[in-house]
Amino acid sequence: MKNKFPFIALTLALIMTLLAGCGGGGSGSEGETAGTDSKAASGEASSDSGNSGSGKETIQFWHSIGGKNGEFLDAMIKRFNSSQDKVEVVGTFQGSYQETVTKLQQAVAAKTAPDVTMLERSNVQLFADAEVLEDLAPYMEKSGLSKDDFEEGLMGHSYFNDKLVSLPFNRSTPVMHINKSMLDEKGLSIPTTWDELKKTAEALVVKENGEVKRYGLTMPYDTWYPIAMITQAGGKFFNDEGTSVGYTTEASKTFKYLKELQNAGALYYPPSQDSGNITNQMFTSGKVGILFQSTGSISGLTQGAKFDYVTAFLPQDKQFATPTGGGNVAMMAASKHKDGAWEFMHWLMTSPEGAQQFVIDTGYLPFTKQMVESDAVKQLWEKEPNRKVAFEQLQYAVDTNKSVQWPQVEQEFNKAIQAIMYDNKDVDATLNSYKEEVDRILKN
Amino acid sequence: MNRRRVWETTRPYALILPAMIALFLFVVYPVFYLIKLSLYKYNLLNKDKSKFIGLDNYREIFTRDDFYHALANTAIYTVGVVLCTMLFSLGVAVWLRKRSRFNAILQAGLFTPHIISIVSIALVWMWLMEPGHGLLNYVLKAFGLPGSPWLQSSSTSMISVILVSVWHSIGYYALIMVAALQSIPPTIYEAAALDNASRFKVFWKITLPLISPQLFFILVIMTIGSFKVFDTVKIMTGGGPNGSTTTLVYYIYEFRTTSIGFASATGVVLMAIIAVLTFVYFKVLAQRIHYQ
Repeated sequence: MKNKFPFIALTLALIMTLLAGCGGGGSGSEGETAGTDSKAASGEASSDSGNSGSGKETIQFWHSIGGKNGEFLDAMIKRFNSSQDKVEVVGTFQGSYQETVTKLQQAVAAKTAPDVTMLERSNVQLFADAEVLEDLAPYMEKSGLSKDDFEEGLMGHSYFNDKLVSLPFNRSTPVMHINKSMLDEKGLSIPTTWDELKKTAEALVVKENGEVKRYGLTMPYDTWYPIAMITQAGGKFFNDEGTSVGYTTEASKTFKYLKELQNAGALYYPPSQDSGNITNQMFTSGKVGILFQSTGSISGLTQGAKFDYVTAFLPQDKQFATPTGGGNVAMMAASKHKDGAWEFMHWLMTSPEGAQQFVIDTGYLPFTKQMVESDAVKQLWEKEPNRKVAFEQLQYAVDTNKSVQWPQVEQEFNKAIQAIMYDNKDVDATLNSYKEEVDRILKN
Repeated sequence: MNRRRVWETTRPYALILPAMIALFLFVVYPVFYLIKLSLYKYNLLNKDKSKFIGLDNYREIFTRDDFYHALANTAIYTVGVVLCTMLFSLGVAVWLRKRSRFNAILQAGLFTPHIISIVSIALVWMWLMEPGHGLLNYVLKAFGLPGSPWLQSSSTSMISVILVSVWHSIGYYALIMVAALQSIPPTIYEAAALDNASRFKVFWKITLPLISPQLFFILVIMTIGSFKVFDTVKIMTGGGPNGSTTTLVYYIYEFRTTSIGFASATGVVLMAIIAVLTFVYFKVLAQRIHYQ
């Protein structure tokens, strides 16, 4: 039996290493993905003590921007780190907005959350309600910033119970992207109302042997566009008390309008998986004339389009209206390095090297008055008027889907969209059962 | 002496201790934690905001139509995958049972899908099944047949997902069956040949009963596995269109951020269903299995 003991000890040791491996996995990968500039501040040691070797305070920053825009973001973080010698920001790409939410929920529960995080604006409420976001008002005051410095249309999700819990960062709205060459061919002008949009979209359709070869209108599978249209028709997504839906017939009108276009072959409604890429691809390859899509794709579409490409406001029914989207940044209440975190956020908001340059690089909306008035942004707009349209549409920005329960409601709304757009289910019956679900969720 | 006896009695426990620790940490504890979560309206972010609500989550599950819808989808998927895979694998195995170089190559080819990540497979099949310019519809049209919307219509999406899963797993199960077939003693076949038994009878009365333990094993493993299907659904359809491919696990996944208590309760229900299924299998089928 003597010689069995080492074996047991060994097994135990193995298990322990395994456990340690599991625990450390998350923070280990942070160091890797953060890019070249963060090598010095690797792993957990630095985030625990708050000091890496160089004596700088380390701030963990989680975000959801990958690909080309992710490179612009990394460059921005690099600019911040070299602009001063007190704070070192380590940026970590955490996947899509939804994945970031999931990871953040787990990280908060495990007390390994970052100091600063990006949150898709509609998820801010969820976290604010759980009281895990820091109130930024005192920091704003200290630095002499006020909410009037920001574009009002983009601050809709920044407040929760009178607390300032997040600030805009990579914000966008849906706009109408138009293949002007295609419209000119048919002698059509850019539609500004639903009726005009319908006529234009139908006129653009090309059919061969009963198969549609060219569509008039398309939009990604997303709750964004129906919500935009419900508000254009004069409704609200939630009522002001947040107890039920805020429309009467407007939702039904929206979906019947879409259905009519779809049945005529004028609207191509894409499959739910990868719908953004599919619709962009159709637009740039001339298979559809008009595209509802985020401002965030303007630079991509400009590069892809071989035709006269312009943007315009989403058409109005009773009124012009657009929801907003994209990400805000928030500080976590559990952070141990709040001053450092604020220094980073403050730099983001105010420095021309910060979010302003990122906005210019990527195509997101400028969100402070200082940015809008800056020469850099003015020059950009001169060169690319398509981007200015998106900004001007902000005067009609209104977010009517603000609720702590929004993620759960969105799930139900998606089901309704799928039932109507994919399975030709009766519009009114589907919306009725959707409303019942919403009432049930909001009651809790 | 006394010391020795203590060690004698404690030794088995000491020996299984490491395994038990792991089992407890990674299986037993999570299961109980899951059950605990299922009784709460749980707020992962701020525990103080969690509310104990007893069996309300379960009540909600059994009054929701979409739960039954997901359950039915899972049943259809499981029956479809298990049946098709069993039949095709058995066919392939019988075809490939002779040891020859050619068969070995075929077998390796059939086995290949199993070692490729299901994620890559799902993505490739998505391209093939694209209704507009996918290869499958191109081939169908070349033969003058009408194209299918595949994943993009709720009437064909489930069968498309089943197709991919079956294609992915045939090779693996065929391999197990080939091994089983080759382990049947040739003397039995020789005896049958002397009796002039027909090929059908030989297959039905000798081959099948003798590989039934392996078939049973595959049946149980595959039923449980299919009940837990997630990856193909997540990648290829996202549970859609209109919930037509939302299986139980995907259903649970959909609630991961919005309502963890409800998701946990559904997880407990799933666990119970699989436990019952396995139990029934062992009871019913164990009697009919022929062990040599």
